Amino acid sequence: MKRKTILEEVLDRGFTRRDFLKMCTALAATMGLDFSQTDQVVAAMEKNQRVPVIWLQFQDCTGCSESFIRSTHPKVESVLLNMISLEYSEALSAASGHQIEAALEHVLEHYPGEYILAVEGSLPTDDAFLTVGGVSAKETFLRAAKGAKAIIAYGSCSSWGGIPAAYPNPTKAKPITHFVKDKPVILVPGCPPIAEVMTGVIAHIITFGKLPELDHLGRPKAFYRHRIHDKCNRRAYFDAGLFAESFDDEGARQGYCLYKVGCKGPTTYNSCAEMRWNGGVSYPIQSGNPCIGCSEKGFWDNGPFFVRRAKIPASQTTINPETVGAIAVGVTAAGVAAHAMVTAMKKKDEHHDRGE
Amino acid sequence: MSVPTNPKIERKQTQVIWKRSRKAKQIELNDHMVKVYVWELPVRIFHWINAFSILVLMITGVFIGRPFVSASIQEEAYYSFLMGWARYIHFFVAFLFTINLAVRWYWVYKGNEHATSNPFRLSFWKEAFETIKYYLFMKNNKKHYIGHNPLAQLSYWIFIGLGSIIMMLTGYYLLFEPQPESIYGKMFIWVAHLFGGDSYSVRSWHHLVAWGFIIFTVVHVYMAFREDYLQRNGTMSSIFTGYKIERKKEVLGEPNEK
Repeated sequence: MKRKTILEEVLDRGFTRRDFLKMCTALAATMGLDFSQTDQVVAAMEKNQRVPVIWLQFQDCTGCSESFIRSTHPKVESVLLNMISLEYSEALSAASGHQIEAALEHVLEHYPGEYILAVEGSLPTDDAFLTVGGVSAKETFLRAAKGAKAIIAYGSCSSWGGIPAAYPNPTKAKPITHFVKDKPVILVPGCPPIAEVMTGVIAHIITFGKLPELDHLGRPKAFYRHRIHDKCNRRAYFDAGLFAESFDDEGARQGYCLYKVGCKGPTTYNSCAEMRWNGGVSYPIQSGNPCIGCSEKGFWDNGPFFVRRAKIPASQTTINPETVGAIAVGVTAAGVAAHAMVTAMKKKDEHHDRGE
Repeated sequence: MSVPTNPKIERKQTQVIWKRSRKAKQIELNDHMVKVYVWELPVRIFHWINAFSILVLMITGVFIGRPFVSASIQEEAYYSFLMGWARYIHFFVAFLFTINLAVRWYWVYKGNEHATSNPFRLSFWKEAFETIKYYLFMKNNKKHYIGHNPLAQLSYWIFIGLGSIIMMLTGYYLLFEPQPESIYGKMFIWVAHLFGGDSYSVRSWHHLVAWGFIIFTVVHVYMAFREDYLQRNGTMSSIFTGYKIERKKEVLGEPNEK
């Protein structure tokens, strides 16, 4: 049976071609494309078939799935129903038990090299911590990864290890990139990632048939090119040196920069400040909460959320660099003073010995 | 006028990397004393620009990391540019620091015998060990050095050499990270992999190594004053004038009478 194109699917559902073009335009904008590239999106949707997607969940909290279903541009139902064919998802599939397992087998068997594997959650290196139905998480993942066209790591857990890998990391959790080396992996970190970013990445793969351009850490450049800090709506207050000192002072009321209450915006790459959340309504800093840097590697170990710290290299420990630095300088100065006293005493002795 | 050196003794001195390095200029004062031109002008200029840069970079750097003063009145953002200026000065001086250090590296090749040292020789480490014993008031065979002793040289390799390189790499990465597509961004993007991968780790390195410079400065200034106090050879004034007053026999390499 010939598979229908995305356009045909849309028309079958009672939408008009005009609706279809609107959807494509919104999609192009979401993907960060120029308006003039909309025709490429339209052409792709007219020609391409729906892409089968397998969505696996490991050591996660389903937060990424929850974020995904809140996508507004494109609306998640249009992604789910028109562009992708979500064949297997623990959270969203209506089927369960043997039926859903059979659906998974069907995709693995009939669409090798065609389906996209979306992974939510980290994998434990010790199988004892995650084995479902006698099959270890690692095995499930590697089996699905084998025939995948591309793998999308949704969320900080699958991208970096995330909260399961935070100190003391009892399950020895690792990001999925630790287990698969021969497949293209797109990291979409965030705790959770922005819904439009999640759907935008899939949309890009469907539209252009290839992975979006990735940065040096494997994240799509379109969404992770800028730091929160560089696009922050409070940035002017940072440059002016106007800071909220606590959450209930006049500065906080005036909307001053949250740097001194531990904002991690300066070290966090994400598009919160541009795309914002819940359909572009707001994002943490706009609503008065400092960025916690959830899309960064090891964010849970990068110190408490509301203070500025520095991480001791190759550890999961953070310190206040100014306090520790000042103490170290104080200790050094005390050592120097003691050394100077001994030096002076010795010199006096020498004079004495020489009878001066 | 220059004083001929004793070739037999000269071999025992710590040898430097660059064989072509010149002997320091010497001026005879009287039968016992000689003026040695230890720190040539580029070394002195480097020293003071470096000291100035470290001071300014530290003050502005701590302010950027932990803004200890804020605009005093409640106002709108467009009236002041305090953090902007702190960052601007930090970046400007960072470039000064870099150029200054580049000139100093050139002077490692072109300078006199006291402008460099060779930590790849066993004698360097043996003599550094003797110097450590000397500073711990233990029995030692430390020689009198006209220039730096090997322990001091080691501290320069670690802090001014390696430390500066870490600060410059991490610093320029942090400066250019908002523009990863630009030529400067591309030049320093690899730094992240060297220092932990993420921006936060790179920043942590920058903050921690900065305090290493202050600890170095405290010890360095103390050691310089101490040397001046014990040797009475003009160590402190030498960093302004370039000259140290030394006993002729020590310059010629004859053993200490102690």
